Amino acid sequence: MKKHLYIVLAGVLVLAETSCKKALDQPPLGTYQAATFFNSTANAKSAINAAYVPLNYGDAFANEEWVLGDVASDDAVKGGLAGDQADIDNINNFNILNTNSAVESVWGRNYDGISKANFVLDGLPADNKTVPDADKALLIGQAKFLRAYYYFMLTINYGDIPLRLQVASADNLNAPKVPQAQIYAQVEKDCTEAAVALPNVWTGADIGRATKGAALALLAKTYLFEAKYALSAQTAQQVEALGYALTNKFTDNFSAATKNNSEAIFSILHTSGLSPKQGNGLNQAFAPRGALNGYGFFQPTQSLVDNFEKSPAGVIDPRLDYTVGRAGHPYFDSSFDPSWTATGYITKKQIQPISEVPISTKGDGNLNVEVLRFADLLLIEAEALNESGNPGAALLPLNRVRKRARESYLYDSTLGSSIVPTGLLPDITTTDQSQLRDIIRKERRSELALEFSRYYDVIRYGNTYATNALRDLPNFNFTANKFFPIPYSEISTNKLLGK
Amino acid sequence: MSNFTFKLKWKVLATALLIMLCFGWESRAQSRTVIGKVTDAVSKEALIGATVQVKGTTNGVATDINGNFKLNAKDGALLEIKSVGYLTQTVNADFVTPMVIKLSASINNLNEVVVVGYATQKKVDLTGAVSIIKSSDIANLPVGGADQILQGKAAGVSVTQSTGAPGDGINIRIRGVGTINDNSPLYIIDGIPTKNGINEISPNDIETISVLKDASSAAIYGARASNGVVIVTTKKGKNGAPRVNVNAYTGVQTSQHLIKMANTSQYVTAYNTAATNDGRPLIPASIIAGLPDVNWQKEVLKPAVINNAQASVSGGSENTTYIVSANYFAQNGLIKNSSFDRLNLRTAINSSISKYLSMGTNVNLGYSKNRQVGTSGDGFGSGNPGASVLRYALFRTPATPVRNSAGQFVDLPQNPEFFGDGLNPVGFADNFDRNFMGYSVLGNVFLELKPIKNLRIKTDFGTNFLITDYKQFFATWGIDRFFNSPNSLAQSNTNLFDYNWTNTATYDWTLAKKNVFNFLIGSEVIKSNSRALGASRTLFADQSSTFQYLDNGLGIQQNGSNQVHSGLFSLFSRINYAYDNKYLATFNVRRDGSSRLDPSNQYGTFYGGSLGWRLDQEEFFKNIRQISLLKLRAGIGQLGNQQIPEYAYATLVQNSGYYPFNGISNQGNSISVLGNPKVRWETSTQTDVGLDIGLFNSALSISADYYIKNTSGVLLPPAKPSSAGGAGSATVNAGGVRNQGFELEIGYRGNINGKFKYEFIGNFATVKNTVTSLAGGAPIVGGRIDNNYYATQTQVGQPIGSFYLLQQTGIFQNAQQVFTHAYQGPNVKPGDVMYKDISGPNGVPDGVIDDQYDRTYVGSPIPKFTYGLTSNFSYGGVDLSLFFQGVYGNKLYNQVNTDIEGFYRAFNITERAATQAWTTDGSSNQFPRLSWDGATNNKRPSTRFLESGSYLRLKNIQLGYTISDRVTKKIKLSSFRLFVSAQNVFTITKYTGIDPEIYTNSNSAGDGVRAVGIDFGTYPSARTFTAGFNANF
Repeated sequence: MKKHLYIVLAGVLVLAETSCKKALDQPPLGTYQAATFFNSTANAKSAINAAYVPLNYGDAFANEEWVLGDVASDDAVKGGLAGDQADIDNINNFNILNTNSAVESVWGRNYDGISKANFVLDGLPADNKTVPDADKALLIGQAKFLRAYYYFMLTINYGDIPLRLQVASADNLNAPKVPQAQIYAQVEKDCTEAAVALPNVWTGADIGRATKGAALALLAKTYLFEAKYALSAQTAQQVEALGYALTNKFTDNFSAATKNNSEAIFSILHTSGLSPKQGNGLNQAFAPRGALNGYGFFQPTQSLVDNFEKSPAGVIDPRLDYTVGRAGHPYFDSSFDPSWTATGYITKKQIQPISEVPISTKGDGNLNVEVLRFADLLLIEAEALNESGNPGAALLPLNRVRKRARESYLYDSTLGSSIVPTGLLPDITTTDQSQLRDIIRKERRSELALEFSRYYDVIRYGNTYATNALRDLPNFNFTANKFFPIPYSEISTNKLLGK
Repeated sequence: MSNFTFKLKWKVLATALLIMLCFGWESRAQSRTVIGKVTDAVSKEALIGATVQVKGTTNGVATDINGNFKLNAKDGALLEIKSVGYLTQTVNADFVTPMVIKLSASINNLNEVVVVGYATQKKVDLTGAVSIIKSSDIANLPVGGADQILQGKAAGVSVTQSTGAPGDGINIRIRGVGTINDNSPLYIIDGIPTKNGINEISPNDIETISVLKDASSAAIYGARASNGVVIVTTKKGKNGAPRVNVNAYTGVQTSQHLIKMANTSQYVTAYNTAATNDGRPLIPASIIAGLPDVNWQKEVLKPAVINNAQASVSGGSENTTYIVSANYFAQNGLIKNSSFDRLNLRTAINSSISKYLSMGTNVNLGYSKNRQVGTSGDGFGSGNPGASVLRYALFRTPATPVRNSAGQFVDLPQNPEFFGDGLNPVGFADNFDRNFMGYSVLGNVFLELKPIKNLRIKTDFGTNFLITDYKQFFATWGIDRFFNSPNSLAQSNTNLFDYNWTNTATYDWTLAKKNVFNFLIGSEVIKSNSRALGASRTLFADQSSTFQYLDNGLGIQQNGSNQVHSGLFSLFSRINYAYDNKYLATFNVRRDGSSRLDPSNQYGTFYGGSLGWRLDQEEFFKNIRQISLLKLRAGIGQLGNQQIPEYAYATLVQNSGYYPFNGISNQGNSISVLGNPKVRWETSTQTDVGLDIGLFNSALSISADYYIKNTSGVLLPPAKPSSAGGAGSATVNAGGVRNQGFELEIGYRGNINGKFKYEFIGNFATVKNTVTSLAGGAPIVGGRIDNNYYATQTQVGQPIGSFYLLQQTGIFQNAQQVFTHAYQGPNVKPGDVMYKDISGPNGVPDGVIDDQYDRTYVGSPIPKFTYGLTSNFSYGGVDLSLFFQGVYGNKLYNQVNTDIEGFYRAFNITERAATQAWTTDGSSNQFPRLSWDGATNNKRPSTRFLESGSYLRLKNIQLGYTISDRVTKKIKLSSFRLFVSAQNVFTITKYTGIDPEIYTNSNSAGDGVRAVGIDFGTYPSARTFTAGFNANF
């Protein structure tokens, strides 16, 4: 008995020695490690897909670009219930602390996008031979476009900001703030390189990825914001040459059935009914409270409504009722209820009718959000031409936009007439630079209303314009509010920020 | 070495002693015979092997298997009766009738044996800091968890429930908070290292708990011991005829300390005052008349039952002992749909196969079911159970009915602009259907070989197998607002399989009689493997429970799986040395290899050592009879904390969302967390000095310790600017934390005339926690209380997770004050909260209040000291025990008060905020004016919402009656005790929230110790009344 026991014991000890080696070999399962991730096109493609994700509006309160772009402006107010989401009111009233949630949200999301784009760029150096060069070029092109887009959004919101061109690592977390010009220079460089690498169009399963047109359109817009008007006009014309066209119906840009149309240059994509959810959350946030099961945020102002032109006979620009719900007009397939809104108006852009998205899945809308559409590009071109001293040439793109708007009567039977009312949105003929400037600004406000960009235009137009536009808001101060404050989370952690 | 074998050894020793003593007696005759029986004073069980000695002589005997003894003594002799673990008694010899001697259990007996790592040791020989809790200290407490019973029982062991919800987590901190990461101690249950096991066993099955607090005692557990070690030993069978034990209690729980909220009329007045101040429409008089007045706290907190039943059979023969027990515990929560049920079946068998070989097994089978509702937090973030039901109960206005006339839940009030859009908490709770089922096996088998004298070789294989089955149905509900639309079902299943294989050898060696050595060497492999599978679907046409299965969901389908594993391989050794019972020394070493470290650098070595000096054994002390024990102890050592993330060394790429190109879902992958290949264990260096005193034959025992625990290499996620992207930070071993404190445990027992017996057991511990280094890194925030706003900051020189807030200095009484005080914003008016201007960009007050320069450290959630006091009284068959427990000097951030006193929208507010608000100059310096516009300023996170968290609680009071022997004998019971008890009887506190005993909330849970003590409307502790019995057959 005793002898057998010793044999068993010895066996046990031998076993123990071998099992210990195995016990320590426990690598991560089901997840890649970064160093070995870019070993196939499929992996690299999933990395670029990730860089698009921060664009989405799946949750209106996680991506508050609409707050900074429009609620801050003279076009919209917070809406919703009084007291709810007080930080949005604080933006509206220019009572803006650096802890403001919208200020934090826009900053964080765009930098997250930059980090994800940088992951792709870091992972696909020239000596990565496992991803074929042709694939690599397309992936790098998209990454550069996205990085440029995120930096553009950041710098128009915050001005001087950190410039990060590599994934931050454990010992490289801080970055100094650089002048806005340096950010713009990087955006120009990335857009230019992306335009070379990217195709004119994507087909099939890739529809919606960044194209050459997107890169050039963003470049044109960047030049415009930099007041490099000649370059802006020139670049806009390159985009025009790619064959984009205005849709006949203005509303096709805001309708699920006509996504990715000839006017869309770059859109933020949403599709309802996917799992996990990839639908548009603005559909719920902006829809009226009550029976339509919305939250009632983002209500258009009287000032915006007043911007829409009327014909001499008093017929209003049809874009008003495409953009804004108001008393006496149906709200898609529901009837308008004045109790929905404090301003008397409610947005129609970003909203789908109940027949398309039922109240039970309200937050899973099917609308894309247009970021760069051809009408915008034409107005960029018009403005750039006018500002660069060529008002005559500016009329052509400007009038294309106006023509499409008035000719809604030819394509939209709900307007009750197929004849364009006399004198509605007539072609502009003046070549007085100053007059034309006012007209283009007014046109831009009507055409692009509630597309989250009014505030940047207001600021871009300068102190006089902005102070007048926001005259009802005593807290507004052009110098102080030209940019939103860099958020507290950044100031308190980034030790190089001010260096 | 198990308890059992040690006891056997003792029996042998006692018998040997007895034989020697008997010879001594033989030489002198001329005496009469005394016969009698020695029993336990409480259980009435016979005490085997107790020595009965004629005082002042060497004449004595040991009791037999039935507790009987027989010896000769002279007339008028005094008998001294001693037994291990009992207080010694001296009585007059009675030659006429058989004597019955009832021994009371000792609180701190010199011969007590305690379980230390991988072995047992006599308590008097301990040189480390070890606290011991015995089953008798914790009997019949109406709590569900074995970990809860440690509360208030051991100095330096701080136990806090996360919330009062049944089955909710318990947080145990031994000697402070040593790291910003995982501070949970290592649990060893019958030799099995386990993370969850403590929740899988019944408190009724526990025999003793040893808490190894200092480095010298815990170093044998090396890389896992930095947070202290809790060793649980379960009950074992005893030699003898089968004994049946049945315990049961039943009771009711009720709510307590509700917060005084405004009633409808007070609310309407407050609303209209604010509306007038802000220029909003008033609540029209026309609708005021018909408004209901609902007390939502009373609507959601309803009396609930609690039940416990335990039965066990134990016994054994010379070679084999066994115990089989079953326990069922069921607790409903005060809030509907919250409950905790647990069933345990346990078997333990020890058997000697031959002179050389023994074996044994412990098996605990467990089943538990935990139903949860939202208990804390506001529902922000993924993975938490949802917003606190109580939070909604507090801020839903009283002017909205629970149900409409059709009996359906009213959710959105008729006039949300007046009565708010807070959820209907009754409907919210009613529709919670969140279930966690646990199925567990915790057990081991061991084989012990004694090939030669004094050598024991043991191999022990233990396992903890736990299946956690989660099922939650999110029903669509509400007539006017559509919650959970579409409805959905989520299920997951996690299989945790941990095993350990431990091999040890011990050898006892005595050199020249006075040098006693005890050697231990061992090896251990520990592996952990966790696999999870989860799935969900939406759109269930039928919401009834019959159809809550995935296949019935017609909408979105999701599923996923993952696996995480880790391993530890270790070699360890210990040497105990004692010289002449006077000088004691212990040295421990352990070398650990861990899979959690980069494969190129996986090993580390940990040491600990301590010295002890038994002054009472010295000649110069021997004559002082009052002193039975006087021991000085000192120890030092290094321990690791291996509770670091499994793969912290690797930069991981994981799913980071989806994007629909052309309407088709495309997965995106990106860096989820940055890695650091240099990551190591956190290491704490601990020094401890202690003093143990036993006076008056151990009636008074005192144990005091002072320690310094320096943790270095604390893993920090360097504060990552948001501009660095959304990936998780890499962790680096950069931080340092110091805990120092003083601990005192005192016990005193005595009696009056031998009939009225009393006992006091108290403990007291201070802890001073300081962050000593963040390696130059920025302070680390924690405890999100608003978008990107965190209540706490961990900074060098401050305790971990200190509150970092603006300081309220009062209320602006007039316009002049607003004008002359530092600028607080454009809309600040008289009646608004005034904050202190602490600093500015130039390091001096800058006349502007902003978060960047004016927040300051205003307190810590870590108590300055904690204490507990148990007092037991008995007279005849009646016994009474009182258990007090408390903390002092900590702060709590009453986040829910920002909602219910911050008054910024149509939420209900407390009565005091509604009725004592500032109105005119001098009217209030505490509660600001009622104004939603002013609220942006007034509810800024500040000391306005920071309160003292000190409390003293009569945790338990228990009154029992033991039926006398004569009666029990007739009904064939060996003992029978009836008791009534009340838990959480009263609480003395200044805290205005519903319960000061909170640890964390769902929002901050992920921040760990960096964000504790933030009250989002916590699930309150219940006051519990129970009645029950203990019966032995």
